[in-house]
Amino acid sequence: MMQMLFYILKRFAIMAPVLLGATFVSFLLLRLTPVDPAKAYLSVSNIIPTEQTINAVRAQLGLDRPFWPQYGHWLWQLCRLDFGTSFFSKLSVSRELVARLPVTATLALLSLAIAIIISIPLGIAAALRKNHLIDHVCRLLAFLGASVPQFWLAYLLIYFLSVKLNWFPLQGADSWLHFVLPSVTLAFALIATYSRLLRTGLLESLDEPFVLYARARGIGTFTVVGRHVLRHAIRPVVTAAGMNLGKLFAGTVIVEQIFSMPGIGVFFLESVYHRDYPVIQSFIFITVVVFVLGNLAADVIQAYLDPRLTQETGKGE
Amino acid sequence: MFRKFKGLYISFIFVLLLPVILAGCKTDLNKNTESSVKSEGQTPASTEKTLTISWPKDIGPLNPHEYTPNEFFAQGMYYEPLIDYGEGGKLVPRLAESWDISQDGKVYTFHLRKNVKFTDGSDFDANVVQKNFHTILANRNMHSWLGLISQIDKTEVVDAHTFKVTLKNRYYPALQEFAVVRPLRFLGAAGFPADGDTAKGIKKPITTGPWVLSEYKKDKIAVFTRNENYWGTKPKINKLVVKVIPDGEARVLALEKGDIDLIYGEGVISLDSFVNLRDSGKFETSVSNPVASRALIVNTAKGPFADLNVRLALQHAVNKRALVDGVTNGVEKVADTIISSNFPYANVGLKPYDYNVEEAKALLDKAGWTLPAGKTVREKNGKPLEIELVYMGPDQIEKPMAAAIQSDLKQIGVSLKTTGVERELRNKRMESADFDLLFWNTYGAPYDPHSFVSTNYEKGYGIFESQQGLPMKDKLHQQMKDVLLTVDEKERQKLYTSIFTTLHEQAVYLPISYLTNIAVYPKYVKGLKFPAHRDETPFSMLDIQK
Repeated sequence: MMQMLFYILKRFAIMAPVLLGATFVSFLLLRLTPVDPAKAYLSVSNIIPTEQTINAVRAQLGLDRPFWPQYGHWLWQLCRLDFGTSFFSKLSVSRELVARLPVTATLALLSLAIAIIISIPLGIAAALRKNHLIDHVCRLLAFLGASVPQFWLAYLLIYFLSVKLNWFPLQGADSWLHFVLPSVTLAFALIATYSRLLRTGLLESLDEPFVLYARARGIGTFTVVGRHVLRHAIRPVVTAAGMNLGKLFAGTVIVEQIFSMPGIGVFFLESVYHRDYPVIQSFIFITVVVFVLGNLAADVIQAYLDPRLTQETGKGE
Repeated sequence: MFRKFKGLYISFIFVLLLPVILAGCKTDLNKNTESSVKSEGQTPASTEKTLTISWPKDIGPLNPHEYTPNEFFAQGMYYEPLIDYGEGGKLVPRLAESWDISQDGKVYTFHLRKNVKFTDGSDFDANVVQKNFHTILANRNMHSWLGLISQIDKTEVVDAHTFKVTLKNRYYPALQEFAVVRPLRFLGAAGFPADGDTAKGIKKPITTGPWVLSEYKKDKIAVFTRNENYWGTKPKINKLVVKVIPDGEARVLALEKGDIDLIYGEGVISLDSFVNLRDSGKFETSVSNPVASRALIVNTAKGPFADLNVRLALQHAVNKRALVDGVTNGVEKVADTIISSNFPYANVGLKPYDYNVEEAKALLDKAGWTLPAGKTVREKNGKPLEIELVYMGPDQIEKPMAAAIQSDLKQIGVSLKTTGVERELRNKRMESADFDLLFWNTYGAPYDPHSFVSTNYEKGYGIFESQQGLPMKDKLHQQMKDVLLTVDEKERQKLYTSIFTTLHEQAVYLPISYLTNIAVYPKYVKGLKFPAHRDETPFSMLDIQK
């Protein structure tokens, strides 16, 4: 237990330089882009840029100061969990994110949950009934999941389940019902990946001598799979899910756009078009945090499944 | 075998059917959501007429004096100007009943409409007009893009209903610019922040206009209720609901489902979707008169287009009819001149360039660009005739149009490289005149033609720089400056005629099409008439007759 705690603390210690590096790189890269956010603001506002207006906007946005003071100021604000003020909405980025984060987080976690809940029985069934109907169905699902574009699936779901059958609302994020179609859209590709990963892992583990020995002792298939085999076979799925959490968080934009969900995906996309530096920097920072925490969570679960992974030396390293 | 894994199969089928099971439980929830919106009106549901529309973005804070994130359409429908821009650019009274212009063209005296109240019950008078002008002029730099703001010397309250604006110089478009959506519209005194500077935000959107904001959920919905104390013609509908739907296709699906009653605007849905909805027979569709122009800016300052014959060849080589029909399904209109003739001073009888491939080839031969035997690209002194067209990569219209123009020019032996870049990079290339051809739209009504000419002579925007290859550039740009200072109508028309003729004859633009507003709505929506003003909306004129 102490070993696990020490392992988690060590991982947290490594997070700090990673996050600092991410803030600096994103800050620097944005300022190296050839477009002036002041001009972007004028262009979006449909204002003919004159020298006077450009200077007025630059002063308003604090872009007339040198690089290091700008970076230092932003970092200092970040330490106090203040993400600055949006160039465009003139509102606090923290407030905007707090208002939008629940939508995106719910969408990402719900998609992941749906994907895991469906892909585990699907993967087990496909492995246990190799080359039977259920396996072929899973293969077809995996093929579709990998090849159907997300936006197209979203439109199909909207057209049939919302417009034609009126089962689900078409846009918004006011109730849990609004999350069903977008979550299914996001989960579809994940189900394909996870179920195939699990199937492969299970098939490998089912060939292990300990499975043969367990069966020889008269233990039933379900018990063998549930208690022994799944523990090994699910590890690649845990790793993938940990990676996907960050990906989902950063990749909900298309689904949010189509389903008119006021999450941070759409907010970020607009900020990129507008060169809204404070929002872009904040989004990158949060995404890095989610990626790091997602990987950490995956590693902790892996360590729980195989404690050797937390040892400094030995087989698990 | 099935018995062995019965539990597994049943669990799996249950999980797959879960969304369907949940769907069965949702109907009531939906009803609750809808009724919650409907219960917010001021009149009983039985007599209430609600029009639901969608918009790609949130309406913003409804600050009449500021820009993004305030949406144009919302500011335009909510706040009122002194003067309105009517059909054919005719200026009509709104909050000003009438106005006088001094002999020297510098002093504008507005006689304000009496008995006009703001939505908080306060009076609309010269003092509140002055208060609005004060905050606008305090941020003069921000608004300096509007010629009128730069020209205002002082403002003065003559009496409760008379307001005077004095300009530094004569500036004929002043009246037209009093009609723009922002920043010259009027907020009630109680809506101002404590320090009176609306650039930092407003307390409350208090207006004299036909609507009152009654409910607002940022990025989701805005509900406007009819202003029962409105001084003018009250809207026929009681309530206007604006839903935020960022995606164009989702907007179409929302209309088909009946979640919204109207799709209105410029570029709000793909033109393919517009045609599909039109052809479905389920909806009424309308297209407005030209509101602005889509054109290519031709760079005369460098490369092959420094030669007039090459520019003229371009005019004859592009099949505009095929472009407009093929790409916009005929929703936009073929443009023969850079400013449509329905704009003020723009009907000057210019002869359109016809689509004539042979004529284009002959002009290129005349310019010395000949086609070597066995080659497909013309050359001059061993140099191939290669040009670049810059367009906005994500634009659904510019991209296919660029490809079609490339194919048209190939026919006359011109190699066209098309470069798609995102908006800000395209703006950067435009400002530095780093292009041979570049897609550009004019500002439209009520800004044109005067804003159009100022963008031509102002340095740093890219158009002035692209006209440096013209032999008469100095005279042309001087005429453009002069026309804004004229007080004599005949002289003004004469100057505009000369300007438009020179631009046309020198082929510095390739006009392609005129942009239009579109509207798609079910048959129960009545009374749609497009405003002449590009940024205004027809919502207050609409009726619902189910």
